[in-house]
Amino acid sequence: MHPGEAAVLAHSLSAVDQALVDGVLAGQRRALAKAITLIESTRPDHQQRAQKVLNALLPHTGKAIRIGISGVPGAGKSTFIEALGVWLIEQGKKLAVLAVDPSSSVSGGSILGDKTRMELLSQREEAFIRPSPSSGSLGGVAEKSREAMLLCEASGYDVIIIETVGVGQSETTVAGMVDMFCLLQLPNAGDDLQAIKKGIVEIADMVVINKADIDRQATAVVRAQWHNALHMLRPASPNWAPPVIALSALHKEGIAEFWDQVEKYQSALQPTGEFAAKRQHQALSWMWQMIDSGLRQHFRLHPRVQENLPAFTRSVEQGHTTPAAAAYALLDYLKH
Amino acid sequence: MVQSLHTNALDEAIALPTEFSSRIARNTQLIIQEETHITNVVDPWAGSYMMEKLTQDMADKAWGIIQEIEAMGGMTKAVESGWAKMQVETCAADKQARIDSGKDVIVGVNKYKLAKEDAIDILDIDNHAVRDSQIARLKQIRATRDSAAVNAALEALTKAAETGEGNLLDLTVKAMRLRATVGEVSDALEKIFGRFRANNQTISGVYGGVVEGQESWEKIKADVARFAEEEGRRPRIMIAKLGQDGHDRGAKVVATAYADLGFDIDMGPLFQTPEEAARQAIENDVHAVGVSSLAAGHKTLLPQLVKALKDQGGDDIIVFAGGVIPAQDYDYLYNAGAKAIFGPGTRIEDSAIKVIEEIRKARG
Repeated sequence: MHPGEAAVLAHSLSAVDQALVDGVLAGQRRALAKAITLIESTRPDHQQRAQKVLNALLPHTGKAIRIGISGVPGAGKSTFIEALGVWLIEQGKKLAVLAVDPSSSVSGGSILGDKTRMELLSQREEAFIRPSPSSGSLGGVAEKSREAMLLCEASGYDVIIIETVGVGQSETTVAGMVDMFCLLQLPNAGDDLQAIKKGIVEIADMVVINKADIDRQATAVVRAQWHNALHMLRPASPNWAPPVIALSALHKEGIAEFWDQVEKYQSALQPTGEFAAKRQHQALSWMWQMIDSGLRQHFRLHPRVQENLPAFTRSVEQGHTTPAAAAYALLDYLKH
Repeated sequence: MVQSLHTNALDEAIALPTEFSSRIARNTQLIIQEETHITNVVDPWAGSYMMEKLTQDMADKAWGIIQEIEAMGGMTKAVESGWAKMQVETCAADKQARIDSGKDVIVGVNKYKLAKEDAIDILDIDNHAVRDSQIARLKQIRATRDSAAVNAALEALTKAAETGEGNLLDLTVKAMRLRATVGEVSDALEKIFGRFRANNQTISGVYGGVVEGQESWEKIKADVARFAEEEGRRPRIMIAKLGQDGHDRGAKVVATAYADLGFDIDMGPLFQTPEEAARQAIENDVHAVGVSSLAAGHKTLLPQLVKALKDQGGDDIIVFAGGVIPAQDYDYLYNAGAKAIFGPGTRIEDSAIKVIEEIRKARG
């Protein structure tokens, strides 16, 4: 990349966007909210502006710890984030919560109730909570959280929490944009761990058994089961074995212990450079993801492809052409 | 067999009842009691096949629900999980859709309507005066009661909650006889028990399911989709419940219907202050805030919300109001900054059209 290119981009900011950038940097709630809206917008001109705003803010990002929290509905995510958030604020921190809602129908909008579930936290001056509706935008709403996260960092938040419901692709996406991915579980003793999706176990940097107060014995059993399951896996990091901790968010028990693990994680990964490497890797794979989806879109919109796609589709369906031959022929159109 | 009879006052959907409307409601009961002789028979419908069948059907359905609740672990669990409230809201959304679409008839509301309704006299409540007099009363009570005794009674209550020893009801009665307030008693218990947080769930698809395919409905849906394309996102609306007004069924019905139309809806928590609502609206960057008012607080709370939005830099967010809002209050609210007001009987579709229109107007 040509040195100074980012600076050139920043200089081409309009007065409105410059005000937005200044507002975000000054920690203004309204500006941050507006900037997130700009990023989430599906309008091409908004997306261009958003990238300029992001580029201008990029030097001011990266200082927060990014935590992903996932769990099935009813696992107590909101209660936990609220308890953690209030505790962190008491430790002098500022935190932003970005909630991703992947569950909405095709035509309908979303109903977002995150603040009714985090009432106390939402009243704190030091907290910023932004639930995002899902929409059919390029890259999906979870991808937008990655950029929203950068905005929150530039606005001075020390801790960024990305909350997602434990369904579908969103968990993997979120795990791919945070420093530490935590899985919230319930003490459902007897539930075999086979029921837990294997892919999820592999991306968890910490497992939290919530609602431990309900059944201490069951909690102990589940905790042991998780220990075994994680033990059998080769850890993703040579410097970190994902711990399994039990807490009760409702009774605010175990919150300090949770944060203790987060700090341990940081001090285990930072000296070896693994922490920074993980972020670099995430940024690169994000770039590739954007390239992939951009290419796909470019391909689909190519006039010759559009013209010939139906015939090739039929031909593959009827067995006259092999799928590979059809793909090669269609991709060839891009070269001309 | 009639065991109890309730009649609502004729203006109850518009305001708190006046003496006049309450009297008609009460006299309706008295006429049934005194003039129809219905109280002379134990069961006037006994033996009617139709009535027996309807009664049986209802009993069977009720029994089915009771079984369902038992399977969940009892009513407490059903309430705690949010199931009970969701049943009510599903039912209400379905009914509202049926009324709005004319599938269910309510004479005078969606059929045989007057071209122009005459205004009726309604009770006008001066919120400020009520608040001031309540505060004065509280002050007076606090000044004249035996504080030491009250504190001791409240501490005893907290202790009983902690140890599980003693009768909480008995201790509550004792504290209240010493003039402890309801707030103080619940605070004393909250120290140990914590506060119940309703499991707030929302439903979707119920309203849309009833009106799906109707021309007017599909037209608005298409318009919402067009808005989303122009704006880069769906119209995003916050539905707010402000002040001491716990009636959120209407707000939930509107929320689910709007979401079915393609709006993104942010549900505010119950009992929000105008400042908190403004902050949520700004943080989530909504296009509009809809205030649902059923306890006559709108004349105080709506202007405060408009001011709070302005103070926090969100004066581009428009405010509208809905619920039990009498026609007499409209001008006051428009002057205070409301862009639209939806009183009782408003079709949800009509309100959605108006909201979109006002948002477009505000965005120029």
